[in-house]
Amino acid sequence: MPLGVMEMELFFQQIVNGLVLGSIYSLVALGITLIYGIMQLPNFAHGHLYMLGAYLTLWMMTIYGFRYWTAILVSVAALFLIGMLLERLVFRPLHNAPHINSMIAAVGVMLFLEAVARKLWGSDYRRLDSPYGEVISVFGVTITQQRVIIIVAAIILMIGLNLFLKRTVIGSTIEAMAQNREGAFLVGIDANKVSLLTFGIAAGLAAAAASLAAPINLVYPSMGAMVNLKAFVIIVLGGMGSIPGAVIGGYILGLAESISGTYINSEYKDLVAFVILILILTVKPTGLFAKEAR
Amino acid sequence: MKRTWKCLLPLSAAAILLCATACGNQSASVGSGGSELTREISIGWSGPQSGGAALYGKNTLDGLQMAIDDINNAGGIKVGNETVKLKLAALDDKYQPNETATNARRLKTENNTTIIFTPHSGGVFALQTFNVQEKFLIAAYTSEPKVTATNNPLTVRIPPRYDTYPKTFSEEMMKRFGKKVALVPGTHQYAKDWTALFKKTWTELGGEIVAENPVDYNKESDFAPAVTKALAGGPDVLFVGGASQPTALVIKAARDQGFHGGFIVMDQAKVEEMEPILKDLKLLEGVIGVNPAYLYPTEGTKKFVDSYKKRFGADKIPTSETAYHYMAMQVFAKAMELAGTTDDASAIRAKINDACKQLSDDNVPLLAKGITENGGFITEPKATTMVDGKYVQIPLPAQQ
Repeated sequence: MPLGVMEMELFFQQIVNGLVLGSIYSLVALGITLIYGIMQLPNFAHGHLYMLGAYLTLWMMTIYGFRYWTAILVSVAALFLIGMLLERLVFRPLHNAPHINSMIAAVGVMLFLEAVARKLWGSDYRRLDSPYGEVISVFGVTITQQRVIIIVAAIILMIGLNLFLKRTVIGSTIEAMAQNREGAFLVGIDANKVSLLTFGIAAGLAAAAASLAAPINLVYPSMGAMVNLKAFVIIVLGGMGSIPGAVIGGYILGLAESISGTYINSEYKDLVAFVILILILTVKPTGLFAKEAR
Repeated sequence: MKRTWKCLLPLSAAAILLCATACGNQSASVGSGGSELTREISIGWSGPQSGGAALYGKNTLDGLQMAIDDINNAGGIKVGNETVKLKLAALDDKYQPNETATNARRLKTENNTTIIFTPHSGGVFALQTFNVQEKFLIAAYTSEPKVTATNNPLTVRIPPRYDTYPKTFSEEMMKRFGKKVALVPGTHQYAKDWTALFKKTWTELGGEIVAENPVDYNKESDFAPAVTKALAGGPDVLFVGGASQPTALVIKAARDQGFHGGFIVMDQAKVEEMEPILKDLKLLEGVIGVNPAYLYPTEGTKKFVDSYKKRFGADKIPTSETAYHYMAMQVFAKAMELAGTTDDASAIRAKINDACKQLSDDNVPLLAKGITENGGFITEPKATTMVDGKYVQIPLPAQQ
């Protein structure tokens, strides 16, 4: 095979790999940015909701013998409820307290969830087997079916979320709250309801992302910590609270990691990601798609 | 305010009760043997109980706990005219050397431990800066050769050194697959040292390194990008290694991308732990690594595997970590008996060689044949590799 063709293949393979990574990152970042947009709360526990989502899907499949997609639906629904519960029990009582209290509560929830997972499922690494393990090869680029599913499902979820926010009344109330809190109150939007719903949607998204990504990785109690960190980088990069920012930021980070890992040095790929972050913040200190300063 | 106090009262009462019953149980279990004195000493442990390495930490603790239970159930150990029972004192260090040092100080002052186990090289190095001064023995579970190269008089290295492996691994893989290797090891210090040694060995044997692409085994969402790059160099063999489970994913990613060569697996990853992750064992064809501990051909190992299954479930197999910790605890207990002391670290250390010789392969798994002068257990590791769907054992050069 001529060298040029191999180089091209390597490049496209890494683009595909980067898209897979980017899809996972974006889905996780979306949840964080949604909550931040509504409540100005950096939900540090989001990665652990992600972990919980993966465990629930695994649980449904191994104990109740559910099919992969059914298990995902159950897990998303369960996390939707857990998210609302968290908002109601942990964050709403802190609504009028100083801001720092909610942040500390988020860290507390994170530690709590990890401890619960260790108690319930142990520290073992588990594998979530999806029925889509086949390898597809197109023009020398190889990809497993599961990775294709991740890319496609991420796009569908993002479009779905966008339609929900723009085209439905409930969705619009969330957007309205994110855009202008006081304005939303004035037109009679119930802030509590919106917060509740946002937490539910964010947690549900985390469960969907985790269930999609888990088959290419492992399920274990601290699995959420690493994606959480990346997701926070992304929402800073994309602009805190911005939805397109989270999506674009996720793909930028995913592609940057896979491409720089190939052409520079894999040991520096995190470094490259952070250099990109610094460059973007130097040019646009509020992030790519920051909302107008209020 | 008043309500909080009202709440606190029953809570604290409950806590005290709980404490009392717990202590009560303990003293009840320590039966008095006639005129003999019975006391209890603590064995220290500092290792990861949370975070990504929590499972590894748990495996090491399971081995210790099993050994301690077996020793206590057999009546404890005889030290002078006393009967001594053992108790485990474990503290989480999250895999951080600085935390290991803090934990060791706590274990020493609060529990008066003379022996402290720690399952990572960073922790061992941290403890070696003050263990002689504070007079405690480090039971080091790490295959890092530097741990014993420093001649610390109160360190015991439990598993075989990793420099036993690269030559045999390399020769076998070169013979079967070819001389081009690509490296996808972890980025932790242990992996870096291992990789450096491996590169030297591989090139000295006339091999070529076509790509080097370390990745963080604990932080990666997908190993495909790293593997793609390594495979672009057209290697015959891949060098991999970190914790077993992510290592299995790296192997799977390489197979998914159409790699048909061999894999050299660092001793940190264990074949028996990769199997349940991969499920399809055909993926392990051409893998060379450390022979699973549970296959060690002695009666003691068989008994140990049986009692492990009884305790943790019939479908579970003990890892090397668990087996080696069990063995080490038995040896230390024997050494305390022989030395006639539970708190003189040097005296205990001096009796470890005799202790190894007095114990029997029929009761203790993976029993060390003795200890080298600089503190390494003399063990007999083997390599294992899959050829045509079957594991084949390969002898390794003896350790000095």
